[in-house]
Amino acid sequence: MKKSFIAGIAAVSLAALGFVAAPANAATNDDSKCGTAGLICIGVVTDIGHVTDKSFNQAAWEGAQAGAKAVGGVANYIESNAATDAEYGNNIALFAAKKYNVIVTVGFLEANATVAAAAKYPDIKFIGIDQFLDTTKTTPNLAGLNWHEDQAGFIAGYLAGYMTKSGKTGAVVGLNIPPVYRYAVGFANGVAYAGKEQGKKFPASKIIYHPAGDNAFSDPAFGAANSAQLLSQGYDVIFAAGGGTGNGGLARIAKTKGKYCIGVDVDQWGTVPEAQPCLITSAEKLIGAGTADQIAKVKAGTFTGGNVYGNVGIAPYHTFASKIPASVQAKVTAITKKILSGSLATGVK
Amino acid sequence: MKRFNIKIWQLLLTIALLAIWIYSYIANTDITNSVVASGMRFGMPLALAAMVGIMCERSGVINIGIEGTMLLSGFTGFYIASWSKNIVVGLLVAILTGVLTSFVHAMMTIQWKMDQIIAGTIINILASGLTSFLYKEGSTIPNSWPIFDIPLLGRLPFIGHAFFTQQGPIQYLGLLLIPAIWVMMYKTRWGLRTRAVGENPGSADTAGVSVIKVRMINVMIGGAIGGLVGGFICLELVGSFSKEFTAGSGFTALALMIFGRWNPMGAFAAAILFGLAQALSTQLQIFGVTNIPNQFITMLPYVFTIVVLAVSAGKVRPPAAAGRSYEKEQA
Amino acid sequence: MKFKISRDALVPVASVLAALAIGAILIAAQGHSPLEVYKVLIVKGFQSTAGLQATLSKAGILIMSGLAITFGLRAGLFNIGAQGQVLSGALAFTYIGYRVHGLPIWIHLPFALLVGALFGALVGGFAGYLKATRGVHEVISTIMLNSIMAAVVDYLTQNQFRLKSQPNTRTPDILHSARLPHIFGFPTGFIVAVILAVVVGWIFRKSTVGFELDTVGKNRNAAWYAGISVKKSIVLGMLISGAIAGFTGGMFSAETTGYFVPAFYSGIGFDGITIALLGRANPIAIIPGAIFIGGMRSAQSAIQFQAGVSPDIINLLLALVLFFATAPLIAKMIKSNAKSITTTSGWGS
Repeated sequence: MKKSFIAGIAAVSLAALGFVAAPANAATNDDSKCGTAGLICIGVVTDIGHVTDKSFNQAAWEGAQAGAKAVGGVANYIESNAATDAEYGNNIALFAAKKYNVIVTVGFLEANATVAAAAKYPDIKFIGIDQFLDTTKTTPNLAGLNWHEDQAGFIAGYLAGYMTKSGKTGAVVGLNIPPVYRYAVGFANGVAYAGKEQGKKFPASKIIYHPAGDNAFSDPAFGAANSAQLLSQGYDVIFAAGGGTGNGGLARIAKTKGKYCIGVDVDQWGTVPEAQPCLITSAEKLIGAGTADQIAKVKAGTFTGGNVYGNVGIAPYHTFASKIPASVQAKVTAITKKILSGSLATGVK
Repeated sequence: MKRFNIKIWQLLLTIALLAIWIYSYIANTDITNSVVASGMRFGMPLALAAMVGIMCERSGVINIGIEGTMLLSGFTGFYIASWSKNIVVGLLVAILTGVLTSFVHAMMTIQWKMDQIIAGTIINILASGLTSFLYKEGSTIPNSWPIFDIPLLGRLPFIGHAFFTQQGPIQYLGLLLIPAIWVMMYKTRWGLRTRAVGENPGSADTAGVSVIKVRMINVMIGGAIGGLVGGFICLELVGSFSKEFTAGSGFTALALMIFGRWNPMGAFAAAILFGLAQALSTQLQIFGVTNIPNQFITMLPYVFTIVVLAVSAGKVRPPAAAGRSYEKEQA
Repeated sequence: MKFKISRDALVPVASVLAALAIGAILIAAQGHSPLEVYKVLIVKGFQSTAGLQATLSKAGILIMSGLAITFGLRAGLFNIGAQGQVLSGALAFTYIGYRVHGLPIWIHLPFALLVGALFGALVGGFAGYLKATRGVHEVISTIMLNSIMAAVVDYLTQNQFRLKSQPNTRTPDILHSARLPHIFGFPTGFIVAVILAVVVGWIFRKSTVGFELDTVGKNRNAAWYAGISVKKSIVLGMLISGAIAGFTGGMFSAETTGYFVPAFYSGIGFDGITIALLGRANPIAIIPGAIFIGGMRSAQSAIQFQAGVSPDIINLLLALVLFFATAPLIAKMIKSNAKSITTTSGWGS
C-alpha cells in the first residue's frame, strides 16, 4: 500500500513537472453580446491541428484576431479533435448557437462540412481557408479562400537560383497533397528560371516527399535526416516545407555553415528561431492577412462569397538583407511583380 | 544460449550488402558516403529506442511505452533547457524524466503485476495527453547540440566519412553505448542475471538473484536510454519540441528489436538496415526517379523489412518470461 | 429480489471518480473551474439528444475497433497495426460505395461492407500467414503494413480513386444506397456494434472455433497437444481481427464520413487498443468503456469552447481511468477480490 502511494505521487509529480509550461489558450473573448447588431463575432474551427501549430491553423487564428481587432469584434476558436464532417459540423453549431456571425474553417478537410453549414445558416458568413469551391453548388455567404502556392514557391525558388553556388537545390516536404505539390514544383521551376536567366544549366531541383501516414507533417527527425543527406551531396539551398517535418529540416540545415534554407507558409524567422542562421526567406501565403481582409469586408458589407485568392510572396530577408546582393534583391522584387501580376506563369498546373 | 546465432541467410545478406557497399563506394564515393551516413542518421534514434525495449524485455518486462517515454523526456528536456538556457541541464532532465517514467512503468508491471501491454499503453496516452495539455508555444533553446567531425576517425578510408563526420554528440555516443550494452548483456555478471531473470525467473530466484530488483533496475536503465533518445531528437536533431514528434518511432523500434532478436547488436544492425532503406528511398527521389510514384518509393523500407524477415524464415523467440509478472512460489 | 452490488463492479466507477479528481487538480492548476468543465462534459456528452447521438455514434466505432483488437488478443495475437486494416477496408468500402450504381440499399450497403471487411481481412490475414508459415512476428508485420497501406491508400486516393473536379485529394461521395440510415435518429452503427460484440462473445463462449482460438491464446503448447492446429488458428485469428477492422473502416465511412480522405481515419486502430485493454479483452465488457470514452470525445470541443480548457484534458483523463481501472490501487482500497487480469501473455511466440 505504501509503495503504491509512492508511485501515485511519482505519477502526479511527473504531471507537475510540466508546470513550467503554463496555461494554453489565453484568448477567451467575451462573446455574451454576440447577436447584437453591428457586433462582429468570429469563430475559428481548426482542422485536426492546433492553433499553436506554427503553421496555417495558427495563422488563421491570428488573422481572425487581427480582423476582430480592426472591426472591434470578438474572436474565439475551437480545435477539432476528429477529422470528420460530423465533428466539424458540431463545432460550427457551437458557434452558431452563440450567435456568431462569421465562421472561419481551416483546411480542405473541412470543405464539405463548411458547404453544408453555409447552406444551413444563411445569415452567417463563412470563410473556408484552403477550400476551392464548386460555386455552382455553394451559397453566397461562403467564401473559399485560396492561395497560389506555386507563385510563392516560384519566387523563393528564383531567389534560391541566385543564391546557390553549386547549382544544386532541393525541397524536403510533407505529404504529396495539392498545396505542398504546388509549393515544391513552383520552387523547382523558379530555380530553373533563375538558372536560365544566368545562362547556367542547373540540375533539376530535387523534391523529397514524406511517406504517407498520420505523421507526414509531424516527423522532424525525417526532415532533419533527409536535409542532411541533401547537404552532404552538395545541395546548398533547401526548401523545407511541411509542418514539423519541415521545421526539423530547417533546424538541421542551420547547423551547417554556408548553406541556406527557406521556410514555408509564414515567416519562419519568428516561428522557428533555431533556423535563423540559414533562413534567407520563407515562401509565404498570407493566411492571416487574407482572413482579416475577408472579415473587414463583412464589416463593410462588401463580402461577396465564391472563390477568392489571398496574397502570396516571400518573407523579409531579416539579417540576410545585408548578405543577399542588392542586384539579386532587385531581380527578386521584379520577378515578384511579374508573377503576381500574372505576366509570368509558374508552369504549375 | 548462443550469442552469435548466425544463419546462412544472415551471412549471405551481410556479404551482399558489403559487396553493394564496396561496389558503389568505388563507383561513386561521395554519394555512397552520403547515403550510408544518412542511414546512420535515420537509424540511430531507432536503434537507441530499441535498446530501451531490449533492456526491459531481456529481464522479462515488455515495454510498449517507449514512444511515451521519449515524448515526455523530449518535452521536459526541451522546456527545462529553454528555461535554464542550458542544453546540458536539459539533456540531464530528459534522462531523469525517462528514469521517472520508467519507474512508474516498473511499479505498474513489476510491483503491481499489471498487464504489461496495458502499462505501456497507459504511459503512451498519458505522455501524449500531458505534453499536449501543457504545451506552450514560443519557447526556444539558446542553441542545440552542435554537429562536428571526429578528428582522426573521420579520416579513415571507407567508413570514416560515413560514420564519424557531421553528426552530433549523442549520435556518436550511440556508437559507444550500443556495444557497451551488448558487452553488459553478454559479458558481465549483471547481464547474466538479467538474462536469467528474463528466461527463467524461478531458477534465478532459487539461485539467489532478486528477480524484482534486477527487473526494476533494468527497466529504469531502459528509461534513461529512452530519455536520452527523447532529448536527442529535441535537443540535437531538431532543436525544438513539437507535439507528437516521436511520430511512431517507438513502435518501429519495437519491431526492430524483434527483428534483431532481442540482441543489442542485432537490433542495431536492423535499425541501420532500416535506416539505409530509408536513405535509399530518399536517394531514389534525389536521382529523380519519377516513373515510380513517390508513395511506392517511400514504402521501400517497410516492404524491405517484411521481405527480409519472410525470406529469412527466422523463428524469433522472445525471452521466455517477457510479459509475465513474477510470483514468488510459496513453499 | 435482492440487489447486491458486487465490489468488483465498483472498481471502474471508483476509477473514473479518481481520474476525475486528479483531472480537477490539473484543471484548477490552469486557473479554470473543474466543476464547469465536468458540467459541460456531462451536458454535451450525455444529456442533449445531439450529444447523445454523437456519443453513441463514436462509441459504435470504438466498440468495433476494440473488438478487432480483442479478437486478436484472445488468440494470443497483438494486432497493433489494425490501423492499416481499417484504412484498406474503408477505401475498399468507399470504392464500392461510389462506383457501383443502381443497387438497392439492402444489397449495396451489405455488399460494400463485406468487401471492406474482406480487404481488412486480406491485410490482417497476410500478417497471420507470415507468422504461421515464416515466423514473422505480427507486431513487426502489422506495423510495417500500416505504413505500406498508408502509402497505397494515399496513392489510390490521389490517382485512380480521386474526385477529379476537386483540387483536393478525396474520393467521390459514397452513394446514398451505401450510406447507413439512422433509425429514428438513433445511430445504427452503435446497434450493429453491440450485435457484433454479442456475436464475438458467443464465438468465444460457445463455438468450437472460439474455444480453439482461446486455447491457442492461453497456451500454445497445450493447444498443440490437444490436437488444435496452431498455424490455422493464427491465420484465422488475424484474418478475423483484420476483417473486423476493415468492417470498422467501412462502417465509419457509411455512417460518418461519406467519402474517403485518409486523415478521417487517423487513430481508429490505436483507439481500439485502448478500448480492448479497458475492457480486458472481454467483448461485452468493452461496451460501457466505449460509451464513456465516446461521450468524452464528443464533449471535447465544447469543453474548450465553453470552459476554455485545452481539449487534451480528455486524453489525460483517459490515461488516468485506464491506470486506475487496471492498477490494483483502487481494487485494494475497496477490498475487491478482482485480480488484475492479464489479457496478453507476452509476445506469444
